[in-house]
Order: sequence, then C-alpha cells, then structure tokens
Amino acid sequence: MEPVYRIYGEPGLKKSVLIAGWAEDAGHLGVQTLDYIMHDLGSREFGEIRPEDFFTMAGVNVEDDVAVFPCSKFYVTGDRKLVIFKSSMPRGDWYRFLNAVLDIAQKHCGVKEIYTVGAMLSSAAHTMPRLLMPIVNSKPMKAELAPFNVVDNTDYETPIGQKPTLSSYLSWLAGQRGINAANLWVPVPFYLLTLDDPRAVKRLVYFFNSKFDLGINFTALDAEIAEQNRRIAQLFNEKPEIEGFMRKLEVGEGLDTDEAEKLTQTVAEVFRRKPGPQQ
Amino acid sequence: MKIRYLSEPDLVNPVMIASWPGIGNIGLIAVDTLRRSLNTEQFAYIEPWDFFYPNKAVIRDGQLLDLTFPSSAFYFKKTGRNDLIFFIGEEQPADGGRVYAEGNKAYAMANLVLNVAQRFDCHRIYTSGAAVAPIHHTMRSGVWAVPNSDNILDELKKYSNVLLMSDVEGREGSGNITGLNGLLLGVANRRGIEAVCLMGEIPIYLQGFPFPYPKASKSVIEVLSAALNITAEMDTINQLSLQSEQELSDLYEKLPAEIRDQLDRLKQVSASVSEGMGAITEEDKKKILEDIDKFFKRGGEQH
Repeated sequence: MEPVYRIYGEPGLKKSVLIAGWAEDAGHLGVQTLDYIMHDLGSREFGEIRPEDFFTMAGVNVEDDVAVFPCSKFYVTGDRKLVIFKSSMPRGDWYRFLNAVLDIAQKHCGVKEIYTVGAMLSSAAHTMPRLLMPIVNSKPMKAELAPFNVVDNTDYETPIGQKPTLSSYLSWLAGQRGINAANLWVPVPFYLLTLDDPRAVKRLVYFFNSKFDLGINFTALDAEIAEQNRRIAQLFNEKPEIEGFMRKLEVGEGLDTDEAEKLTQTVAEVFRRKPGPQQ
Repeated sequence: MKIRYLSEPDLVNPVMIASWPGIGNIGLIAVDTLRRSLNTEQFAYIEPWDFFYPNKAVIRDGQLLDLTFPSSAFYFKKTGRNDLIFFIGEEQPADGGRVYAEGNKAYAMANLVLNVAQRFDCHRIYTSGAAVAPIHHTMRSGVWAVPNSDNILDELKKYSNVLLMSDVEGREGSGNITGLNGLLLGVANRRGIEAVCLMGEIPIYLQGFPFPYPKASKSVIEVLSAALNITAEMDTINQLSLQSEQELSDLYEKLPAEIRDQLDRLKQVSASVSEGMGAITEEDKKKILEDIDKFFKRGGEQH
C-alpha cells in the first residue's frame, strides 16, 4: 500500500509552527490569510497528501470559471519560521487524513504548535472591529495567546444535527499527541460569506505577525480594505435603503429575513461587478 | 479498526440482537428499549476513528475539552437460559453524507460485530429495521421477518403478527434491506450464523418524516420477546406509542379533507386484501405520496 503522503523536498526544520486552512472556508478567509502570508514571506512547496484516498474522483468542481481539483499541500515560508498547510476538506477517512497531517508536521517539520484559521458567521456590520476568538486544546496554549488581545472565553457545545469542525478535529488529535493547538476564528459578516473579507484577513495576519515577529507588509491588505470601503460607500450613495440596513447592524438592531437577503444580494452584485472608476 | 473489551462475560448459548439507525429509528428504538429494560451491562465497543466523523465538541472557557464520536457498543444480559448480547450502533458508517452504510466500511463494521458474536459462540443474530408499508397509523404495525436461511422460516411463521416477504402483497417473497441491518444477515450467512431481520411496519406516508414511529418499535419488541422467550417491560414503549399516536392524530386533523380521504383508504387495505377486492394500487400509493408531499411543501396550509 502506498503511503498517503509524499515529501518532495525535506523542509529541514527541527522546531516549527504549523498553520492550516481549508479551501472551503466561508469568506475564503483561511486560504486568503495563508496566501497573503506566503506571498509576503515567500514560500516553497515541499509535500502533499495524495488526493485519491480522501476525495471523490468523480470529476472536478468548477469555481470562478475554472476547474478545481482538490489538493492538500505543505509549504515552508521563506524565513523558515512557518509551515503552511492548505487543503480542500476531505470527503471521508478524516482520521487517517488528519493523522497524515500530524505525521508530516511531527516527523518532517518538528512542529510544536498548530494553528488553524477560519471564519465564523456574524450578524455584525463589516465596519465593526474584527475579534479573534481562539479555541485552544490546552491550558498552556491559552496562556500563550492571552497577551494578543483575543476573546478566549467561548462556551459551546455542538447542537444536535450539526457536526464539529474539521479544525476542532485536528486540534483534538493534536492534543492526543501532546501538541498544543488553537483554532483561530474570526467573525465574518453574513453578507460577505461568499465574497472576501480583507478586514478579517488582516486580523489573522496581524496576529501571526505579532506572535512570530514576521515583519509582514500590510500595504496590499490595507489597499483591499480601502477599496472595499470605497465600493460600499458608492453602494450607499446609489441605494440609501442598504445604508439603512448597515446602520441597523452597526447599532446591533439586527435585520429581518427579507432585509438580510436584500443586503446580501445587493452587496454580492456590487462586488461581483468589475470595480468602477476611482472618484 | 479494533474492538475494545471492557470485560469478558461468561455467557451461555447467547443470542445477539443488533441495530443501527434507519427509517423512523424503528429497529434502534426497539432494540435499545429492550436493552434498557433488561438492565444490561456494557462489555465492549468498536473504536470509532476509522468509521465516523465526531458528533460533538464541548468547549468551555475557550478550551476544547472533549470531542465525542458515535458509539458502537456491546452489552450483555445473563438470563440463565440463552444469554443475550446487544449491539447498538449510534450511526451507520457512511461516507459523503449518506445515511446508510455501504462499501468497505460497512463490510468492516459488519465483520467486527460478527467477530464478537463468534467469540461468544452466538447461535442466532437478530437485527431490526423498518418496513415501509401501505398501512394507516391507527393500525397495529406488522413485523416483516427476513431470515438468512430457509431453515428458520417455519419458526418465524409461529410468531404472532409476523409476515414473511411472501405474505406481503406485491412482494412475491422479494425485496431488499438497506444498510447494516440488512448487510449483517448476508455476512452472517457467509460465516454460517443464523440471522433474522425484524422490520416494523411504518405507514408509507410517514417514511420521510424526521421523527420516530414507536408503534412499529413496539411490535418489534413483542416479536423479539416471543422469540427470545423473555418478558420485556412495555411501559416505556407503550407510553411513547400513545404520545406519538396523539401527535399524529393532531397532525392528521390538519390535513386537507381530500388527503385524509385518500389516507383513510389505507385502513381498508388489510381487510380488502384478504377479501380479494379493492386493495390500494401502486397508482393510489403514488398519488397519496405526491399529495402529502405537496401539502407539506405548502407548509401545511389549509385551502
């Protein structure tokens, strides 16, 4: 039986940190965060988990006009401080899949800490500050994150009929191996779930930058946030009703179903259009 | 894929009764209610990792305290005659969001359960599930019995309220049993172990409802009690059945008269079949299901 993963360029790390994100994350938050870090620090791909055991080989999905094949790849950043794992979510055999992730992390990278990044649904407006809400797998990890302005008092039980996240599963398995882990969740406004949320990306990148002293340049992210602000301001000018919805969210009033749907649809239409001229 | 033993009970001539979730959870509720009423003791479980995705995370004060998985547990009860082994599977191992097990994982799970059966020299295995039937919810549910060997047919005919597939109108002795409640019969047969699946009848119009149908579970418990020569405590299942029947009656009253008229024809099915006249046809069944589907898609409004 072939091994479920292959390494095609040993990263040569004795002690490192792994950050993992899933392609199917709401607001594309996980992958965008990892892409930003990898682009800014530079990165090299060094291994993968073979897709055939974990994904249905029954064709391909098409996203944004392009056929997308599932993949699960490992990278090391240029400064050799971080190991990045970007992956589609496996369709089955999760236990074997996640153990393969941990095997690579331990055996080939000396990983001592694991972070996952992801979005959670929020009913707040996009103009509100983004919180960082870690769920840790150990008390030492909680203490490690405490100085970083995080909201670390979440109480939660999976409701009947729902399932825990794959990130929770990875964190739990890491704990079984004695590896500290944290799932980092950032609330993303419901009307940006299918779009991008550069503020949420910035919150995560800012955390990693502070925690690991990465020296990341935020110029490109700030430009994205400014562009989002500009387009939403333009939308408010065109449609005052939408601005009214947003103001309600800002003061915590909440929207009814029709209002929420209208807001989501209108914002989606604006952001799927090509950007208009700068004013 | 491992079985973990918590103890090694000394069992005499045991029979195994196994069930997994299915339509209306009829078999699972029957077997689990019987198990609980007999004050059984857990002695083994199947490790969940290779079969299941976790079903619950518990987070307190920002820390993941526990992650739980669907259980697959074995229990025993010493009776002094034929001791009993119960197996309760909280979920069927299935990939890709399917409800019923199939493929390698299902086969592996069936074999692990049978490993335990053989370790204790079980001579008979019962599984239980649901039989979707053209009956009315006010009628007593029959129990369809499917053995994995024709040696058992005569024995099954002796039990009250039991139908073989050849007794069911339009079946001519054929059919299929989806998922592990059925698969276990086939795999047991390969190992030379007798096995029977007992399926409680659920009305055809309730098969897609996301709630249990304890009336059918009660019928299964009655047959199992007779087959195992035990006296089961029936208070719990009687209470559940009454409650469920009351809720269904309330819902029934809200159905449009036209649909109620169609469903009321199901009350006549048994009588008319035995008299050779006016049985409900496949066309009737299709129309009833379509009407009900339309009714619930409209949100149950009266028109």
